[in-house]
Amino acid sequence: MASKEELLEKLKNGVIEYEEDEVKEAAQEAVDAGFDALEMIMDGLAAGMEVVGELYDKQEYFVPEVLMCADALYAGLDILRPHVPKREGGLNAQVVIGSIQGDVHDIGKNLVKMMFDVAGWEVHDLGRDVPLEKFVEEQLRTDSEVVAMSAMMTTTMLGMKKVIAMIKEKNPNVAIMLGGAPVTKDVANLFGADGYAESAGNAVSEGIKMISRLRKMQSKEGQ
Amino acid sequence: MAELTPKERVLRFFNREPIDTMPFFSGMGMVLMPAIKKLGYKFPQVHVDAEKLARSAIESARMFDLDSIVVPFDMCWESEALGNTISLYEDSEDILYPTIPEKKWKVLEDVQITDDDIENIMTRGRMPLIPEAIKIIKKEAPEYPVGAWQLGPFTQCGQTIELDQVLKGVFKKKELVASILDRFTDMIIEIGKSLRAAGADYITLREPGVAADLLSPRTFKQVIQPRLTRILAAWDSPKVLHICGSTDPLVEMMNECGADALSFDVKNNIPETRKKVGDDVIVLGYFDVFKLPCAEETTVEQAVEGIKENITSGVDAIWPGCDLWPDIKEENFRAMVATVREMGGTPTPAVGRL
Repeated sequence: MASKEELLEKLKNGVIEYEEDEVKEAAQEAVDAGFDALEMIMDGLAAGMEVVGELYDKQEYFVPEVLMCADALYAGLDILRPHVPKREGGLNAQVVIGSIQGDVHDIGKNLVKMMFDVAGWEVHDLGRDVPLEKFVEEQLRTDSEVVAMSAMMTTTMLGMKKVIAMIKEKNPNVAIMLGGAPVTKDVANLFGADGYAESAGNAVSEGIKMISRLRKMQSKEGQ
Repeated sequence: MAELTPKERVLRFFNREPIDTMPFFSGMGMVLMPAIKKLGYKFPQVHVDAEKLARSAIESARMFDLDSIVVPFDMCWESEALGNTISLYEDSEDILYPTIPEKKWKVLEDVQITDDDIENIMTRGRMPLIPEAIKIIKKEAPEYPVGAWQLGPFTQCGQTIELDQVLKGVFKKKELVASILDRFTDMIIEIGKSLRAAGADYITLREPGVAADLLSPRTFKQVIQPRLTRILAAWDSPKVLHICGSTDPLVEMMNECGADALSFDVKNNIPETRKKVGDDVIVLGYFDVFKLPCAEETTVEQAVEGIKENITSGVDAIWPGCDLWPDIKEENFRAMVATVREMGGTPTPAVGRL
């Protein structure tokens, strides 16, 4: 039987090498052996994704590789997540996420969603081509702390500004994250957002950095 | 010598013959809301009616003294012609381009583009409207050159099946992706020829889905470059190759594809690009389509400063780095055009002056 360290390594490498089957096997083995599922997620899957982020930053990996790594990560997450005790499952935080109306692209959105999934957030994924008011309704309905919106094209980016105004008017404490190819730091500032990622790749980098921070927080909590 | 007409200016420009002043034109969507409003149209209508498509394009150029008329405006024509349904957002008050909300081909194995599809593509969906609109423009505005465009095979593939499938398929299903891209390449060649035959004076091949922040330059070389080269070889000049996003690592390879001009967006380092390709190649772009002409906060002075930077950046014409966002601030945009007219008398690296 594999040790905990061996399984963590297998999960990590499986994500880096986008070996879905290997990840599934290791995740199942970890569950069967009764190892801490959250630790397997954070120090196995998420640790692997951190390396993927570094490879992306070094331009050794590009978006196709990252997407395949994400598939491997989800293969493991699907098996491990049900075994994470609910209260321990992360920060008990919620996020509303979606691609804005007029935009049917969702690669960046899905990569950011992965970050929240890994961190154990409750994700309310509205999908893509989402009418503006739907973001506001869903935030109010769920009382989510974060609303994350993505637009791949300049032509749809402007809708974000309206959503931000509508949400901030009703609930000024909500943190808004913007992402997508046409979104620059200037645009995010102009629109009144609290964070931004300028492309799917940038979302990967930024998202993975957030995972790192969450891992550190998690390990401090565990001490 | 008398001032050239926009058509003379642009055609001489592509031939790298001396011209009177720097052209302000595009090969991508350039329809503007003030023109649409003046004509009494609604934004969703201009995509589904040849007359409205043509007239809104003509009026946009005339109203703002631009040097070309470009059709069409949205990116869903071919995908629709292959059997997908478009969403026009007729009830929305925002400016939303048509999209394909659900694609009929879910996985790469579903994709089937037959010889019949390719031969008859110009008869399917809305496709017949484009040649019809070009003919209207030629008749109504003969002093203007007409630009048409096609998406490249990779980007077009992503309009027809989900882009993440295509991106992953480049690694996991190499042969299948190659054969699909070849079919799209054949289709794009045929459409481009038809648009030129209908009267388009130049054509732009747009492949934004392959920018270097999405795909590796190695994949570009292996998978994308051969197909872009094949398309451009099959089309008559003038022909422009455009990629937006991160393009600095792709410049030399783009230059090998056989286009008469290369087009980039604001993310490209144009001075470096100029060094890489030399002074004989027409370089276009580096025009921020949102910040200068549209952003509420951008003053007229800032827009003028921005366009001055664009004029002196090493490009040969003022050419938006993407579709112009329709909802321009009129005062900013007019000031930008006026600045180009004032400063455009100086020769650029690839094109001299009369």
